[in-house]
Amino acid sequence: MKNHNKLSHQQKEQEELAAQQSQIPSGKEFSSPEELLRFDAAQTSVPPSIAERLQNSSATVPPPSSPPWWKRMFGG
Amino acid sequence: MNEPVSGCDIRGEPQKEWVAEEFSSLYNEHSRAIYYLTLRYLGDPQKAEDATHDVFLKAFRKLDQFRGEASFRTWLYRIAINHCQNLNNAWQERHIYSGVDDSVWENAAAKTDSPLRVLETKELGQRIQKALDGLPEEYRLLLLLVADAELSYEEVAELVGQSADAVRGKLHRARKTFAALFEKNG
Repeated sequence: MKNHNKLSHQQKEQEELAAQQSQIPSGKEFSSPEELLRFDAAQTSVPPSIAERLQNSSATVPPPSSPPWWKRMFGG
Repeated sequence: MNEPVSGCDIRGEPQKEWVAEEFSSLYNEHSRAIYYLTLRYLGDPQKAEDATHDVFLKAFRKLDQFRGEASFRTWLYRIAINHCQNLNNAWQERHIYSGVDDSVWENAAAKTDSPLRVLETKELGQRIQKALDGLPEEYRLLLLLVADAELSYEEVAELVGQSADAVRGKLHRARKTFAALFEKNG
């Protein structure tokens, strides 16, 4: 449930950002395709259904057995 | 007696809840980048949704194989690229792909590096998708990866299995062709 709240919070932030960016006035110029794609990516919201599906799918998967990188990243 | 690692049980095995919580943080951080890559690479929102789900599920299952030599995002991109290429290969086996209109290549060669002008942002996504769909798959992938400001040229080169110099050369042609297709669809 806690994870679900986190994911929902992230989705809300993304939707707010997309709403702000959709208000950008037309007549915009982009210096390169990458800049245009970055703008497009920032406007794209991740469908909330992915997080929900992922939560259900990952619940049936056992956690990884030997995680050396966890120890390095989170203080082992 | 050694203290157990935070998030691990007494045998050093990760606790499921803790792993899930860390994984949800990773999802929050990287899901937009992966969804956007799959969306524009595959060109279909439903396929992108399925692909993003499958990529993160694969990553969850293989977390113990992530060695931390590359960034987590690069590792996710590798899974996503393999997944999308498998989907595209399966699709192309069933369909005849006509490729790019020759006139676009001719125009692309003559294009200058002028800025891309957008008068109407409402249909921008569709216009971008049309231009990307007209590119060879290799160019489409290059542009999408380079557009992620978190990736260096070296990381992009590694992801596409080429040298950084080769990436720069192909990127130049990819930009020109994209610009020509984008203007054409404007």
